[in-house]
Amino acid sequence: MNIAVCVCLVPDTASVVGYLDGAVDYSRVNVVMNHYDEYALEEAVRLKERVEGSVVTVFSFAPDSAREVLRKALAIGADRAFRVSCSGGGDLSPTEPFLTALGLSRAIAAFYADRLPDLVFCGKQSTDFQSAQVPSMLGELLGMASVSGITSLQITGDLLRVEREIEGGIEAIEVTFPAVLSAEKGLNEPRNTSIRAVMEARKKIVGLLEVSLHEEPFVVMSGIEPLERKKICCFVPDEHELLRVLSHECNLL
Amino acid sequence: MVTAVMNKFLVFLEQREGIVKPSSISVWNRVQGLAALDGNSVVSGILAGPVEIGQLDGALGGDGVIYHAKEDGLRVYNQERYSRVIADLFEREACTALFFADTAMTRDMAPRLSVRMQASLLNGNALGEGDAAGVSRRVYSASFLASFVPTRKLRIYILSSSVRVVEFPDGGRINFIDIEPLQSTLKDLFPVVRRIIMGEGPPDVAEARIVVAGGRGMGGVESFALLEQTALLLGGAVGASRTAVDAGWRPHAEQIGQTGKTVAPVLYFACGISGAVQHLAGIGSAGVVVAINSDRDAPIFNVADYGLVGDVHIVLPKLIDLLKEFLKKQ
Repeated sequence: MNIAVCVCLVPDTASVVGYLDGAVDYSRVNVVMNHYDEYALEEAVRLKERVEGSVVTVFSFAPDSAREVLRKALAIGADRAFRVSCSGGGDLSPTEPFLTALGLSRAIAAFYADRLPDLVFCGKQSTDFQSAQVPSMLGELLGMASVSGITSLQITGDLLRVEREIEGGIEAIEVTFPAVLSAEKGLNEPRNTSIRAVMEARKKIVGLLEVSLHEEPFVVMSGIEPLERKKICCFVPDEHELLRVLSHECNLL
Repeated sequence: MVTAVMNKFLVFLEQREGIVKPSSISVWNRVQGLAALDGNSVVSGILAGPVEIGQLDGALGGDGVIYHAKEDGLRVYNQERYSRVIADLFEREACTALFFADTAMTRDMAPRLSVRMQASLLNGNALGEGDAAGVSRRVYSASFLASFVPTRKLRIYILSSSVRVVEFPDGGRINFIDIEPLQSTLKDLFPVVRRIIMGEGPPDVAEARIVVAGGRGMGGVESFALLEQTALLLGGAVGASRTAVDAGWRPHAEQIGQTGKTVAPVLYFACGISGAVQHLAGIGSAGVVVAINSDRDAPIFNVADYGLVGDVHIVLPKLIDLLKEFLKKQ
């Protein structure tokens, strides 16, 4: 089975994205693999371990400086990893969902030539911008079925049985190969990599795939400003007073 | 003189189990508000699946047509059938913008529609600046507000849930028009929903008007009974911090924050939650925030409107008793 995994890089959610002289300041940011992509990668590797002859290939718009993040993907168990780079265009890597999906679809189509991979795994969204658009867009662009935000996956023959959380419940969905699946937290528990796995990952390939990407984005970010979240907290002495403000002053109960 | 209509808005009214979602109804009314602002737009709706339309009486503001695809094949969500019905109508009626509430269904379907229709997909709060309408959205753990503008003539909006009450025109004339069933047969390759398992009881945390959430300070799975009781009394839902979910005290479906849900209740209780930035990312749109924590210096108090310093195990039982008394008098 051919399994592709798309991975993106995000600021570690614990690190501080700053604001300096009217611009976003990334100098104190630690770049890591997107949290949801870890579930995607883990699921791909578990499948590979179950289905003999499977190959897991990672695709990422990661700059050369972030090669270590792809090494981590290899240590988790991917067979090979590719940095995808845009040729010709302005930015080397797109920051907008449509161009990201388009670039990834071209990298995947080019790599697998005339045959699509059986499965493409993505995280359900990035933790920085959280638009949650790339996986389904990728499905549409590759002409593959897609299911977003899955929390369970079972394969019987040609049939994929997945579950996804909906408001107030769970949807059980059946879909056939090939498919794009995006991973929600709860799909699995990503493994910790051993030192041995990290050492072995050094022997694996981090390749470079160039794709042409001259299209216009669908959406442009026109501004960004820091949000002041601080409120002045009104401390109440006891439960009586709390109930009184909520019911009489706020009119909420 | 008759001015040409510039914008034709189409609102997707999502139903589950025959009930039109309040979040979709809210989007309809917000879009009516946007249309009233620019004075140059018409609003239509699309309803997929057999539903009793009487439930919408008095809920929808403004004038408009709602196209109803009643066929049984749309009773349950089907990505491809739904996409087709929506895209076909959008094209036939020469609409310019399509609006969705931010739901699991929308997130599954809208990105595919965006590619298919070559339409800009924007999620966030609509800024309502007429033709070039952009959106704003919290990014980087809700520590920044970013604005986005579309580059395409056609747009798809996923509007965040909001506690703000919108002004919209009073209930006017809504005409329901049935639309023909889908002609084409579908290929098998598309995902099919086989079963839906709905939880019993309280509303989903992402849709609840009041959320009572607990974190590490709850101390264990048993203490969440206090939050369940409080939520039940208030008609709200229980939420949890990442710590509480990772400890196995609560299911992931209840997690609020960076790797959980973003909530927008009118009233949010943070009980024994310290207020890590990843948690705050999920409550940026909440209305009134009440924090109950034994540590007066906990960061949660910096984002709370009301704070009560105390042990949740002592505060909550008292609050529950008072609430019962209070509700009895109502």
